[in-house]
Amino acid sequence: MPDVARLIGPQDRRARSHPAVLLLAPAVAVLLLMTVAPAIYLLWSSLFRFNLLASEAGVFVGLGNYVDILGSTDFVRHFGITLLFVVTSVSLELAIGLVVAVLLARKGPDLRIAAGLLILPMAITPVVAALVWRALLNPNYGWIDYYLQTLGLIEEPVAWLSAPVTAWIALLALDAWQWMPFVALILLAGLQGLPTEPLEAAAVDGAGRLSMFRFITLPMMRPFIVIAVLLRTVDAFKTFGTVQVLTNGGPGDATEIVNLSIYRVALQNFQVGTAAAMGILFLVVVTIVIQQLLRVMARNTDVLED
Amino acid sequence: MTGRRPVDIGVAVLARVAIWLIILASLLPIYWMVTTSFKNPDAALQIPPNVIGFSPTLDNYVQLLGGATTARGFGRLLLNSIIVAVASTGLALALGLPAAYALARVRFRGKRQLAMWILSTTMFPPIVAVIPVFLIAGNAGFIDTYPVLIVPYTAFNLPLVIWMLRSAIRQIPAEIEESALVDGSSRLGILRTMVLPLAAPGIAAAAVLSVFLSWNEFLFALTLTRSAARTAPVGINEFTTMFGTEWGNLSAGATLVVAPILVLALLLGRRLVSGLTFGAVK
Repeated sequence: MPDVARLIGPQDRRARSHPAVLLLAPAVAVLLLMTVAPAIYLLWSSLFRFNLLASEAGVFVGLGNYVDILGSTDFVRHFGITLLFVVTSVSLELAIGLVVAVLLARKGPDLRIAAGLLILPMAITPVVAALVWRALLNPNYGWIDYYLQTLGLIEEPVAWLSAPVTAWIALLALDAWQWMPFVALILLAGLQGLPTEPLEAAAVDGAGRLSMFRFITLPMMRPFIVIAVLLRTVDAFKTFGTVQVLTNGGPGDATEIVNLSIYRVALQNFQVGTAAAMGILFLVVVTIVIQQLLRVMARNTDVLED
Repeated sequence: MTGRRPVDIGVAVLARVAIWLIILASLLPIYWMVTTSFKNPDAALQIPPNVIGFSPTLDNYVQLLGGATTARGFGRLLLNSIIVAVASTGLALALGLPAAYALARVRFRGKRQLAMWILSTTMFPPIVAVIPVFLIAGNAGFIDTYPVLIVPYTAFNLPLVIWMLRSAIRQIPAEIEESALVDGSSRLGILRTMVLPLAAPGIAAAAVLSVFLSWNEFLFALTLTRSAARTAPVGINEFTTMFGTEWGNLSAGATLVVAPILVLALLLGRRLVSGLTFGAVK
């Protein structure tokens, strides 16, 4: 006989939370294994100076690695480059994405096809995208230089990846090409879900297109803008493969984001203690930035609430 | 709303032209990749570009997959990518489904916080995880094996899988399960016989996204494999140095790497975007 009383009695709360633990434990264990555990291991390693190639055990140096890193102009500059990359790429994607979303938010079967095609750059494996762009940017046979010349935008071929400014343009163009569609489609979903009454009321009152967009549409879009910015920021901080393949941090160290420099120090120079300290500092900065964004999001949207 | 003025029609036409120019420009790199893979080496580097009028050849693919010039079989790289993506997706679903069910249906304290913590693990920088995994896997002799990629990829995919499945399960009416619970069925039994079939579309979407993420991963594959478990994105990057600027072979490899994901993306359409926002945007 089913014991209905058992399902609602106070005893049951324990009986029912028991399966919850069992159902959740394996997933939580794997997540801990790949986040908290590495962070603790790294924190511990950051207190030692040791080289993987040298056979002797690490020497305890306390906060020595941190002092060295923060005193090194290289690391501080690479941090600045990383933040510049995150801010410029996300801003660029937001600006273009907003324009594209507005263009797509009209009615028409061709625009449904357009939105479907817009997804495709997102689906390109990032490293492959960087390889393709390197070919397209080649000054001798690249299509980009040829067509920019045809359009009269440049007079002679540009060796994009050989100068800092043009290398940055190339890197931002690649990132925006791949991820602007993601931002645009988030914003498009927002635009299509907006109530039409406020706009109709404003139109009756004789408001112009631009002021309606600025004072009615944009404020209502804020939750979607915040989500797009948050998700792109999280991803921009993870960028590795595309930069490694496109510029490898160059020319010089003009595009050397922290992910690349940690990779070099840890896995090419094998200075594990130094790399660990860099990783911990990076983790702290990323956490602070994303916490702030989450706070902004909590104020603006309830989508991630229950 | 109101009658269409000539200005409105003008704006509409301009908007159409602008959006299609943007779409065509953004498809150009993909077009370059696919067409170059069917060109012979001379045609590939031709300037002005030979956009349409080239005679297609399969030479690049033949060389890549079976020809004499391949020092490292590209087929093997693709096979490794498939194994790692499928295994990590299977594991993420096996671990994620019970977890998502608990978060959607079982009542317990701290549930919201736990769900948010699971979500927040996606923000963890992979570069911070890869160094300890490299050191520990190196000591344990796991470098260049499948598990050393499958376990991290499972962890990377889990938050997305759990959040997508949680919202899929929530859309199933709870009454069906409650009556089964009253009849004495176990939670796992309900999960298997009732939730699994009803949540199938959501599970499929989560699986596709999980494959997508694993397939495209680069940092861990680069760091933790050498040759036996090398995946295609890392392998194709080594092609450039191997062949110099042999763009024919490279673009054939690139097309093979991208094709399966491109097809999945076309099938998923805007659900791809919805999934990548953890269901925040429908």
